This record gives sequence, structure tokens and C-alpha cells, in this order.
Amino acid sequence: MADGGTWRPPRSCEDYWWEWKHCRGLRHAFHHYYAHGELPTCDRWREDYEACRAWEKGRAAAAQEALCKSERARVMENKKYAPVWRLRKSPPPDWYLPLDQDKPN
Amino acid sequence: MEQGEAGSPPPAEEKVGKEEEDDFGYRLFPERNKNPQSFLVRSLFTYHNKCQLMLRMTLETNPYAQLLLEAMKQSGCTVFNDRHFSCENCDACVGGGFDSATSQIVLCQNNIRHQSHMNRVVTHELIHAFDHCRAHVDWFKNVKHLACSEIRAANLSGDCTLMNEIARFKFGLKGHHQTCVRDRAIRSILAVRKVSRETAEKAVDEVFDACFNDLEPFGRIPHSKTDARRAFRDFQNRDRYNANL
Repeated sequence: MADGGTWRPPRSCEDYWWEWKHCRGLRHAFHHYYAHGELPTCDRWREDYEACRAWEKGRAAAAQEALCKSERARVMENKKYAPVWRLRKSPPPDWYLPLDQDKPN
Repeated sequence: MEQGEAGSPPPAEEKVGKEEEDDFGYRLFPERNKNPQSFLVRSLFTYHNKCQLMLRMTLETNPYAQLLLEAMKQSGCTVFNDRHFSCENCDACVGGGFDSATSQIVLCQNNIRHQSHMNRVVTHELIHAFDHCRAHVDWFKNVKHLACSEIRAANLSGDCTLMNEIARFKFGLKGHHQTCVRDRAIRSILAVRKVSRETAEKAVDEVFDACFNDLEPFGRIPHSKTDARRAFRDFQNRDRYNANL
């Protein structure tokens, strides 16, 4: 986590509001049901928005903590499966090679 | 078959216990290793110019493609239209492919007739290119790697929207997106690799959970251009996001 003095919410409060509204919409409910077989739960976005607003108003440490915890949990949810492949440290060496040099001899 | 995935063939290897040479899908892209046609023949007798125009429209206006291009640029693989895309005539059942040997996306000018189809094919192949750029993907020898990239491409490119599935006469609602992604990944593998259906299904099943939930660089499954624009915005703000976790 960044220093308390320079910390700000990971997303703007408008983004949390947008995500919450979008989550509650019919279109998103349909897409979520189509993709995952269940309806979405949107309370977390509302809680994050309220924490963001609380931090904006009074720089409440509890709000900062709650927001960080929620976002870290989101990141961990995305990392719960072991990766299938090994990530590169640099791009493929032949990405920019001219085409005729790529052809095998 | 909508998309294939091509690569230059290494020395013939055993894939399923037989001494059968795998063409790695090259038969679907007969112009891959040929000299290009003359400008006049290409302009007058093929859909080459239309393909180029639609491609340019996609790259300049489609939010899915723009996010992928930006993500690839950040990963060190800037995409150049004239180097990394090629409009060619292909086999009848293919929309496009990613040739990892030449780092090129092949677009089938004889099969892509509408802008919406071009958008989807470009997005699909850019996802393969993005995976190639960010990871050591063994396209030729590891079916699981191929399966993973195909799952991601089918999941994130809009291949499996309800409307697209209905147009294919495939009907379903609850969780049908995952059924579609699985089926299309298996079909793609079978189109470009000489493996049995059981091998393809096993590979897809083994990596499905990990790869269906790998949403890079979108961070969400984009069900519309609005979702894709929001994903692009989140991508542009990722430094702030990561710094304040």
C-alpha cells in the first residue's frame, strides 16, 4: 500500500458509482447469467463507493483500509488459478524482424 | 471453422503416436508461403482493398482492438499494420489466423464480408498475438497452451455472444457462453493440429478454469463496446490502481 500521505482510492469514486449502476442494470444481469449461469451480486461495488466517498469527505483510515482490502481481494480472485504458461520478461525477439528474414533457410 | 492458427512446421514430430506430419493449419492459408500477387491482380480480382479498408476501420475505431493494441505496445510489441497484418485468400471455412513464425495476423479477405466480422476476427487474433507477446506460448508442441489461448480468444472477442450463437443455430442461455467457448476452442484446435477429439477435449478441460478466468488485458468479459471502452479506461488507469492497492 502506498504511503498514507499520498494514497488515494485505486479508482475514482465516479468509477465505483458507474460499476455499481452498471452491475445493477438489466443488460449486465443478462450477460452475467449468460456467461456464469447466475445473477451478479453488486453490493461490494456499493460498499466500495461508500468507502471512497467516506475517504474523500474525512480521510477516514477505516474507509481506506476497507477499500484496499476489497480491491486486493478482487486481485486475488483473479489469481486463484495457476498460470498455464510462463510469462516473458521481454517481447519475442523476432516481433519486429522484416518478413523475408523470418522465412526459414 | 471461423479462425485457424498457423505456424511454420518444425521437423515432423509424433503427436498422437503416429508418424503423421502435422501441417499446423497451413493448409487453411495456402497463400502463406507463396509470393504475393501483383498489385493489379490483387486490386481487380480479390477483396484485398476492401479487407484493408475494413481492417483500418477496426484498428482506428473499435475499442476492443484499441485496448489490445495499447496493451501490446506496453508489453513491447507495437503492432504495425503493414508488418503484422496480412489480407489473403484462405480456405473457405476460416476467418483468420495468427502465424507465430512470422508474427503476423492473417485475415481472410475472401471470407470476411462485414465490418462486424472483421472487428471480431481482428480482436480474436490480436488476443493470440497478445499471448504470444507476453508469455512463452509453445504453439506447436503444447496443446494446452494452444487450448488456453483459444479459450481466451473465444471468451473475450465476442465470438460467443448470444446473437452469434443463435445465428449458428446453437441455442442456450444459462451459462451458455462457457459452452460456446469450450466448443469453439476444441474446434479451433482440431482445425490446426492433427490430434484426436479426445486429446483436444482433454486439453481444453484441463486448462478451462484457469484460462476462462484469465481476462487480460480486459479485466472483464466485454459483452459490448461500452464494456470494452470501460476496460480500456481501466487499463489506462492501471498505474493508479496498482500504486494504491
